[in-house]
Amino acid sequence: MSGSVARFVLRAVAWLPLAFAVWYFTAPVLLWPAKLLVELIARAGFSDLVRSIAQAGATYTFATTLKPGEALAASGTITVDVNALLYAFGLPLYVALVLAAREPGWPRKLALGYVVVIPFVAWGVLADFLKNIAITAGPLVASQTGFSAWQRELIAFAYQFGSLILPTVVPAVVWVVTHRTFLERLRIAS
Amino acid sequence: MVRFFVGFLVLQAALFGAELTPWAQQYFVVPWTNQLASISAGLVTLADPNVAAVGKVLRSTRNGFAVSIEAGCNGVEATIVLLAAILAFPAPWKNKLIGLAAGIVAVQGLNVVRVISLFYLGQWDYEVFEWAHLYVWQALIMLDVLVVWLIWVRTLPRSADPSGGDRGAPPGGTGPRGRTVNAGSAATAPA
Repeated sequence: MSGSVARFVLRAVAWLPLAFAVWYFTAPVLLWPAKLLVELIARAGFSDLVRSIAQAGATYTFATTLKPGEALAASGTITVDVNALLYAFGLPLYVALVLAAREPGWPRKLALGYVVVIPFVAWGVLADFLKNIAITAGPLVASQTGFSAWQRELIAFAYQFGSLILPTVVPAVVWVVTHRTFLERLRIAS
Repeated sequence: MVRFFVGFLVLQAALFGAELTPWAQQYFVVPWTNQLASISAGLVTLADPNVAAVGKVLRSTRNGFAVSIEAGCNGVEATIVLLAAILAFPAPWKNKLIGLAAGIVAVQGLNVVRVISLFYLGQWDYEVFEWAHLYVWQALIMLDVLVVWLIWVRTLPRSADPSGGDRGAPPGGTGPRGRTVNAGSAATAPA
């Protein structure tokens, strides 16, 4: 590895512990906009399924209108917990990359990255919730959701893509786009 | 630059979709995951003979603790992202092939370190294991992919760059992610 890239990587790795610590302890506030977004989408698109969404720390609890599979006549309804941190861990990496690059205007870059990443956190959380009620919960619950076979396939893909690819790819893409001058300098130094 | 990003995203989505098909799972993902467990066990047994691999599970024969290598932790998604970033970037095919070969080795090499480290972290402290598994290693693997791609872009001849203002500016992004679903016995942790 050439020197300039190595120094950059070392700086990024050095920033990671602090970035992770700040991210973890501020997550309830940091991820609140994602909760608002999830709530907005749920109200607009899934109002027949979702009664309310509560946030405790970084966990969103979806109160649904769905009955438990074994007791359709009972008065109880299903709640689903989703850990939003699972879809937001790209944020500390993005912060570490921005700070390691030492570019002017880094606060603006941090803010921009945050704004871009939050909707994808909402994607992951919502897809996780939908996967839970439409697939994981079993046929008795899934049948109450009214999703067709192809819609369940779409939910499965959205969940997989939203959990395995997007949380890391989105921050990386934003970082590359906002650091093209830095990358050009890195390139010339080779 | 726009062409690169569009190509990168389309390729990535297509490769990821292909990976999820039963055919790819049966003939590529599952055999590779089993191989990864086997390689990890082979390396670990150099220092610790009380380890065995059964399928995709890496198990301690001393205390029964085991990790099951699941989707997201087998490095396949990370490799897909790297593949998409290299293939979408305008460069001679020779450079792309060299970059892919070296990059896959680098990503999978670090992934072996991830699996082995999680295997021992899980035996030491489950909370630390969860943190490393769900957050820290995901970020590190993604950083690895990004660095591999940056180094590869630096090795390209200048004439291979996109035209105009994009000349030499690496416009792509990469990154794996993985979260696993427990698929083993009560003593088996996903890795």
